[in-house]
Amino acid sequence: MIRKPIKKTWSIILGILSVIVLIGGYTYLSHMQHKANPDDTTIPTWRQLSQGVKKALKKDRSGERWFPEDVKATFFRLFLGLFLAILGALVIGVIMGCFKIAESFLVPPLSLLAKVPPTAALAVFFVMVGTGTNMYIVMIAFGVLPILAQSVYLSVKDVPEELLNKAYTLGASHAEVIWNIIVRFILPKMIDAVRLQIGPAMVYLIAAEMLCGDVGFGYRIRLQSRLLNMNVVYPYLAFLAGFGFAMDFGLRVLQKVVSPWYSR
Amino acid sequence: MQEHITLECQKVHHWFGESKKVLHDINFSLIRGEVVSLVGPSGCGKSTLLRAIVGTHLPRKGKVFVYSHVHTPPRIEVTKPGRDRGIVYQRYSLFPFLTARENVALGLMLDQTSIPFRIFQPFKWRKFRKQHLQKATALLEKLGLGQSVKLYPHELSGGMCQRVAIAQALIMEPEILLLDEPFGALDEATREDLQRMILGLYLENCKAKQKNQKPPYTILLVTHELTEAIYVADRVMGLSQYWNWQVEDFNAFPGATIVYDKLAPVFDPDKEKKHEDFVAQREEIRGAVFNPNFRQDRHQYITFWKQVKSGEGVGILKNNDPVPKPLKDL
Repeated sequence: MIRKPIKKTWSIILGILSVIVLIGGYTYLSHMQHKANPDDTTIPTWRQLSQGVKKALKKDRSGERWFPEDVKATFFRLFLGLFLAILGALVIGVIMGCFKIAESFLVPPLSLLAKVPPTAALAVFFVMVGTGTNMYIVMIAFGVLPILAQSVYLSVKDVPEELLNKAYTLGASHAEVIWNIIVRFILPKMIDAVRLQIGPAMVYLIAAEMLCGDVGFGYRIRLQSRLLNMNVVYPYLAFLAGFGFAMDFGLRVLQKVVSPWYSR
Repeated sequence: MQEHITLECQKVHHWFGESKKVLHDINFSLIRGEVVSLVGPSGCGKSTLLRAIVGTHLPRKGKVFVYSHVHTPPRIEVTKPGRDRGIVYQRYSLFPFLTARENVALGLMLDQTSIPFRIFQPFKWRKFRKQHLQKATALLEKLGLGQSVKLYPHELSGGMCQRVAIAQALIMEPEILLLDEPFGALDEATREDLQRMILGLYLENCKAKQKNQKPPYTILLVTHELTEAIYVADRVMGLSQYWNWQVEDFNAFPGATIVYDKLAPVFDPDKEKKHEDFVAQREEIRGAVFNPNFRQDRHQYITFWKQVKSGEGVGILKNNDPVPKPLKDL
């Protein structure tokens, strides 16, 4: 029957099984590929993968450790870009949702900007802020901010009028209505919106790093893919997937901590 | 006179656009300590009038005044929402992100502290916070919600939510508490519980008056339920679009107006509610307020001030000395 609930133990078992199937399937594919071509590097064996991981962690000829350097560069760009985007989106979205003048002034440009793929505008960022870290940060902020601001704006519009009126009858100032009522009301929805934007932010960043980076996940994956060193590429991809999952999980925990009332 | 009056609507008119007339010449004043029901057919402008009193949508013409017992000047014209008017809505009555006691304490926080104070003086704020929460808990316990102080609104029943919402408004000691169909979505038993709670507050008003103290609660209840209107209030006002405006020299419908204003019996919250106690007045209100074919002189049903002057008042209106003068227009 549709939506018939199952036992929690079954749910856990099926979850574990799906991972086992994934790992088993890969092992089988890799085995078959190496049977046909023992020198293959496109579907590396587990041994080859461990060698790739070691390679990424050890110092290379120039004395650099790829993985820590790439993590440092990529995450710095990602977090700073996301931070600026979230901060900007919160301010712009709340102002748009609260004041009609700001709404009329900002909705049209924001709607247009939200439709421009940031990777397509890479040349513009390149010209405006150069090829350094700033370019990546600006690109993430530019890519995420308009959509996030629109999401915040719509959430603010969803705050029932009755709650705002009530806050005023309790003696709230305009600033208190915004800070103590509106921001608290939209906070869990904002966290949901950020969760949805982490994926696109990573896509923009990795794409930009692939195109013009000299360090970072995108750069390393492009370089190692060209050399067919998939034993380095796959661990990088696995790390990115794990990171995305951890971020999503962390944000869900954060949502539960800061907005325990927001239950579905 | 003014020390007895809490709210006054003076020649309030409202319309939307050019032709949609909503309210016409609304004049009334409420005595401190009264519980007044405002009834009327759908679309008669009850909510518009309530919004004018709250101050979120001001009337196109006319004024609303609130008389304060603490502020100077004592008469304040309503131009925006303020803490002297508490409001309880049917929907969205509580802030969903706050627990019951935090909801009740919110008004104290907003009224007694500011954002800079809370940020830059955290230790003093913490002390305030503790006091606010204690006061909120005490009030919730008084209203029978002692076990639910730490629950969020979605964990409370509809009746409990409305109780908390009333506590939230009352903790601010507003000059007037406005209830906008607060029990409309509740089941019969819960609704009656809350009606008795309002009667309990009215009883406190009567006791305060006996001791020559200021009655603490003045309530304007907007409802579409006639039995409720008569049961909880000592006065029922009817706002209606069905009135004989043609005989008052209007060429077109000028808007809904007050067509009924009479005393209502005062009930003991501990005694059983009997259907027969309401029948006569229910029928009278139905005829005067809800009847589209009503063609009589509306003034025959606007007798509240005459009744009070002639000593018919009961409860808070009993031996009201000095009797507040009715407004000129009434």
